[in-house]
Amino acid sequence: MPGASLSRWTMTYFAAALLCLIGAEVLMVAGFGYPATAIEAPETLLLVHLTTIGWLSLLMCGALLQFVPVLVARPLQWPLLSPIALLLILVGLGALLCGFANMAEIITVPTEVLPLGGVVLAVGFGTVIVSLGRTMWMARPLTLPAKFVVAGLASLIGTVTLGETFALTLAGLLGGEEALSLLTHGVPLHALLGLGGWMTLTAMGASYRLFAMFMLAPDIDRFSTRLVLFAGVFMLVVVAAATPFAMAATMGLSVMLLIALLAGLCALALYGRDVVTLYRQRKRRKIELNAYAALGAFGALVIAPILLVGLLLSGQLSTGVGALTYLFVFGWLSGLALSKLHKIIAFMTWLESFAPLLGKRPTPRVQDLVDEPHAAPWFGAYYAAVGFGALTMLVDLPIAFRLFVGVQLFATLAITVHFYRTRLLLNLSAESRASIGTQHLFFPQSIARIRP
Amino acid sequence: MTPVDDAHLIDRVRTALKMVIDPELGQNVVDLGMIYEITVTDGCIVAILITTTTRGCPATDFIRQGIEECAWHVDGVELVNVRLTYDPPWLPSMMTPEIAALLGQ
Repeated sequence: MPGASLSRWTMTYFAAALLCLIGAEVLMVAGFGYPATAIEAPETLLLVHLTTIGWLSLLMCGALLQFVPVLVARPLQWPLLSPIALLLILVGLGALLCGFANMAEIITVPTEVLPLGGVVLAVGFGTVIVSLGRTMWMARPLTLPAKFVVAGLASLIGTVTLGETFALTLAGLLGGEEALSLLTHGVPLHALLGLGGWMTLTAMGASYRLFAMFMLAPDIDRFSTRLVLFAGVFMLVVVAAATPFAMAATMGLSVMLLIALLAGLCALALYGRDVVTLYRQRKRRKIELNAYAALGAFGALVIAPILLVGLLLSGQLSTGVGALTYLFVFGWLSGLALSKLHKIIAFMTWLESFAPLLGKRPTPRVQDLVDEPHAAPWFGAYYAAVGFGALTMLVDLPIAFRLFVGVQLFATLAITVHFYRTRLLLNLSAESRASIGTQHLFFPQSIARIRP
Repeated sequence: MTPVDDAHLIDRVRTALKMVIDPELGQNVVDLGMIYEITVTDGCIVAILITTTTRGCPATDFIRQGIEECAWHVDGVELVNVRLTYDPPWLPSMMTPEIAALLGQ
């Protein structure tokens, strides 16, 4: 029978990811990394990788382990690889961060730790890709959202490969003019593949399916969505083709980067049009917090390209790229992630706790596991803080920036408390909880343990 | 068993199935239109054709088992066979008007 399964380790991925997000925000509040230091300083690299690998990539991997089976209507293949991959990614990330801390002279470790961390990360992400890849391979022909995920995973391979090349060069294990030139000129390619290809294309694909599931929007198989995928993949191909130009440090690199950016902007514009259409065509008029909290993320996704074009036209890209990246990472990607987590955590907790009771006794709704009225203001505070944070970074007010990141941290902690309450069923009455065994916060639990 | 008896059993099964909810929409599977057909053979064997609102939903197996369990406990039912189909796919227009109104349609 076609069907997906419950990913037992996804909640552990989410918990690790949230800890990394909180850690990154604490560092920013403390004035660690850009704008207090240079954007290319090792402190900034540490902060960036804690956010992009620790928070966003772990979250994305955990979510894909649950949602790829939903996208292709087949159970996850080789699910035992999930905890192994998590462990490898965490160890690899730890080593990578130690390598950056060593470069910043915060700690002393051998320089080889940096590329070694990259290798372990590559094996960890590779393990996730093997499990997801086999699941999708067995479900051919793929649905359109699943094709977005394939493009995203291909970008992840490119991102990790470029990153490891940088790490080897920084550690002095890879020399020569071409490697140095790639390190100097290839960072935008690494960032475009990671933030644009891996995270954004994957988030787009998953969001199309989530709209259909949670808002009863029509299933997408429209021409514009195919164009989004085409433009996104075209951007990735251009980025891949630009790598030799970065190695040779030729003028062609700027032209190719511009073409890739234009393709990316086209994909974003078409995706934005699709999102508006899906919101308008949804059959479920009363939408939940996860849907309207995501509007803030879409707002950031609209503002970021406008800011990019403005910075390009005014020749201020090098000074504004930090604010632009901050807005994209914390407004669009993190905002969407937090708003969807609000729903996904409740849904998975319901499956673990109440699904086996269906037909045996009345069960609460997924929606009963969350407390929307109290959670909603924190999402508002989060987006407002990120918006003002980006603005203060843009106009070079570092103290004000830290103040707003402090608000962002506080809002993140409050949202995390709501996730905690959902996991422990604390929004249900004590009577409803009584028949459910001890709820595990983030370790996997067997649904068989539940008392009938 | 007469056709009238079968019809009564189908009614009782349909009523019992209102205890099973779709967790996402929070409403019972009968009023959501997820029960496509209930048939009775030999007076006690019940076959139920169901769908889910989304193909590949992780709750699918649980909903199917819940429906089977619930129907089996109805007086007069000795065997239950639940089949899942996506032909035709579920549409919001299959909900009762009351449930559609609750969901803000």
